[in-house]
Amino acid sequence: MAIQEDRRRISIRLTVLQVACVVVFAALGISFWLLQIVEHAKYEEMAENNHQRTLALRAPRGVLYDRNGQVLVENRHSFTISIVREHTKDLDRTIRMLSEVASLDVENVRAVVARHKSEPSYRPIVVVEDASLAQVAAITARRLDFELPDVVVEEVPTRQYPGSSIGAHLFGYVGEVSDTMVAANDSLKSGDLVGQAGIEKIYNPLLMGEDGAKVVVVNSLGREISTLDLVPPTEGKRVQLTIDFDVQKAVEDGFKAAHDARLTNAGAAVVLDPNTGEVLAYASEPAFDPNAFAAGIDRATWASLTSDEQHPLNDRAIQGRYSPGSTFKMAVAMAALEEGIITPDFQVHCAGAANFYGRSFKCWRAGGHGTISLRHAIEQSCDVYFYTVGNLVGIDKINKWATLLGLGVKSGIDLPNETVGLVPSTQWKQEKMHEKWYAGETISVAIGQGQVSVTPVSMAVYAATLANGGTRVTPHLLKAVDDGTGNGWKPVAAPAPQSKVELDPEKLQAVRDGLWGVVNGGGTGNRARVPGYDVSGKTGTAQVISNAGRVAAARSGKDLRDNGWFVFFAPRDKPEVAGVVFLEHGVHGPNAARVARHIVATFFAKKEGRPLPPPPTPADMQFDFSDPYGLGHMPGAPPPEEPVNDTH
Amino acid sequence: MLERRLYYHIDWAMLAGVFALCAIGVAQIYSATGGFTHIYYTQIYGIILGVFAMAICLSIDYRSLADKSHWIYLGILLLLMYVLFFGAVRGGSRRWIDLGVFNLQPSEFAKATLALVLAKFFGESRRGAITREDLAIAGALTAVPLLLIARQPDLGTAVTLIPVVFAIAYVAGMPMRIVGILALVGVLVAPVAWKFALKDYQRERISTFLDPAQDAKGAGYQQIQARITVGSGGLWGKGFTKGTQGQLRFLPVAHNDFIFSVLAEEQGFAGVLVTLGLYLFVILRALEAARLAKDRLGAYLVLGVLASFTFQVIYNVTMSAGLAPVKGLTLPLMSYGGSSMIATLAAFGLILNVRMRRFTN
Repeated sequence: MAIQEDRRRISIRLTVLQVACVVVFAALGISFWLLQIVEHAKYEEMAENNHQRTLALRAPRGVLYDRNGQVLVENRHSFTISIVREHTKDLDRTIRMLSEVASLDVENVRAVVARHKSEPSYRPIVVVEDASLAQVAAITARRLDFELPDVVVEEVPTRQYPGSSIGAHLFGYVGEVSDTMVAANDSLKSGDLVGQAGIEKIYNPLLMGEDGAKVVVVNSLGREISTLDLVPPTEGKRVQLTIDFDVQKAVEDGFKAAHDARLTNAGAAVVLDPNTGEVLAYASEPAFDPNAFAAGIDRATWASLTSDEQHPLNDRAIQGRYSPGSTFKMAVAMAALEEGIITPDFQVHCAGAANFYGRSFKCWRAGGHGTISLRHAIEQSCDVYFYTVGNLVGIDKINKWATLLGLGVKSGIDLPNETVGLVPSTQWKQEKMHEKWYAGETISVAIGQGQVSVTPVSMAVYAATLANGGTRVTPHLLKAVDDGTGNGWKPVAAPAPQSKVELDPEKLQAVRDGLWGVVNGGGTGNRARVPGYDVSGKTGTAQVISNAGRVAAARSGKDLRDNGWFVFFAPRDKPEVAGVVFLEHGVHGPNAARVARHIVATFFAKKEGRPLPPPPTPADMQFDFSDPYGLGHMPGAPPPEEPVNDTH
Repeated sequence: MLERRLYYHIDWAMLAGVFALCAIGVAQIYSATGGFTHIYYTQIYGIILGVFAMAICLSIDYRSLADKSHWIYLGILLLLMYVLFFGAVRGGSRRWIDLGVFNLQPSEFAKATLALVLAKFFGESRRGAITREDLAIAGALTAVPLLLIARQPDLGTAVTLIPVVFAIAYVAGMPMRIVGILALVGVLVAPVAWKFALKDYQRERISTFLDPAQDAKGAGYQQIQARITVGSGGLWGKGFTKGTQGQLRFLPVAHNDFIFSVLAEEQGFAGVLVTLGLYLFVILRALEAARLAKDRLGAYLVLGVLASFTFQVIYNVTMSAGLAPVKGLTLPLMSYGGSSMIATLAAFGLILNVRMRRFTN
């Protein structure tokens, strides 16, 4: 029957459909089993990455204090503006819009983003460090409008240095860690801020805190919904320096006066406690503003720093090498005394010049000093006396004693990239030049010219060694560390002296007497005199070019004025402070002595609780601008304002 | 009007399955939209109206309905045409008639209407096997509403009409030879259709499906997110309202097209199995109704109605797992949508209608 057949056919085809449905649903079931059970872990991770974001919380760096607990370097809050590309549909639109809203250069922003292109897309790319409040306000207003959902504003701690350039070379600066540093050090990660110079660099492991992390839930627009986990950042350790802020400021005020007087804007000064090697003040000029680096230095500022002919980024105190000039004479004197070649009463007749090895060497005083003994030779800085003594001592003994006093060797100060000066010797010349040392060369060395070169920091050590009687202390900046465990300051042991030699007290006293006379007698350093404190010191005026070369180079436009030195300690018999002031192209050593006076006066006023002397004005300083070579107006020098004062 | 006798023959088991799915859907809408929002209430109202529609569809003898099927068919065509010219526009397409409190989507009702008219057509045919002439007429009856819906444009809903005609024609005895030929034609036409019939965004959707990563932020995004949503659910799920993907909007329209993904995320593989099981149960129960039907008309009506339902369920679930191109095709009984809910429940009313009248004359 047709109907029966019909029913049978329908029945069969319905069965086919039933089976098909079961098969398809089974297939669906298997598909879900594969996704949800077999590949679950993978998708779970993807889902977590979708909605969980781990944000780094930058740790504040450790605060730096001076020896009296005054804050030197701290942290302030700043805002960064970043782009998180993760959910960005049109990156270029975001960049254009952000640039417009925050008044940024579009090309700069593109370049920054391009540089971080290969990083994970959830990691914020910092476009603006230390954003202005106007920028932050403009961005947050837009964010709420969902116009810039992929732009985030974060608050981060940023380094805050005192003043504009105080202690610039001392503190150094911070900057983003380089890729090579990350590769070399497991504890660093890309984007970290690390010390790049000065204290910030050398004590980076102490100062750098441990970044925290915040795990947040974000929605599909990247907006934070809630916080899942928070590991607060650990602040870097607090560090106390040996620096005395007021002495440091006195140094910088002195340099500022020299700059304002248009004498020079370059130089260095290091002030030590001669008994321990603690650095009380440390400066190199010209300097820079470390604050400019704190939130990422902009290209223009960096370019102006690196292209400046004065090289403000160079730390002259440990990296500059200069002829010591007359300040070297104490080394020659100590060598001669300690080697028993002369006694303090040894006399030389100065007629204004003397002949050595067939060549005439002039004393700075054309008329000569007459018959003169050691004390007066130092006080008057008689060149002929030291030509004679140096010739008697010989270069190798000069080298030996100069080294013991701290010259021609590294001071060992805890700052990066110290260079070493040079005190020549026969061995040195043989090794470097494969030549014999000629005795005639010793004559120039004896007055600190010729091959001798020193760094200002080594000169400070030299002054300290003469002050303390032969201990070559290691200058250092770290006084105490607070490791944050609640135990307060934990003093850091002073580093061991670099060397120690017992200088014969009587012989040393002769030199010290000379140095006292320099300042308090009729000597060249009377500008450093602080009544009642027996300041002892020695000026030095070092030529930067030979007399012959000077004439030839006079028209080159280079500053060829002499460098001025003053090494000092005080009081003479129980020194508490020692140091050096170096004025690059400062024309005369006495100008440096004048800066030193302000430092010493400040030191003692502070120590005794008296009001500190006010910062000197250029007029107070009465700098000597005279041209010792009679060539008229010196290139680069302002016109002389004062009568010639021929002291060395 | 409902005789007591008939009341006993209502398929309560299937009905329970249907309402269980509705309940799961409402719960997931609650979760996906964040509580008792207007979306949640609209869905509840849709279900209530759907129950009324179901009661109406079940109380009138399907044979009487079939007798009037041509009028119903014409009525739907008129509504579809009306929509084309005067319909409310949303998201770039004209699908709705704005009734003030409610937006009616006539295309949802076209499915059951087509099933009714085709069931009548094949059911009345006294010939043993189906002729090509029959197929041509059936094809034409399908093509008219299909093209009208496709013009809205709403390709998703339009495509769901095709299973209706296929299922009825197949069971009505379409020769296997023709089934084969149609399959062949389909394969051959596909590339041509790719080139000429599809719009750019449609082509993009399909090419994106084949390689979602090529457009991970655009069209491929939803597909990748769908897979993450489902896969991260695991065996037991993240818990009701605890799904991160749906809650944090990584997956768009979680209460609508992707409701099954969210279910998979929050209820896990266990919830998926239960839900899929319910759907399969409902479908098999309905097929049973077709087998039990007193006449061919009834069997075909059940099949037609069931075909678009099943097709939509399978497609949507596949898409929810990121295994099919993303298409605006909802999951019947669970997805948010008033018209869809009313039309689907009405369609189940027809299935119940056929089953409970299997003993009547």
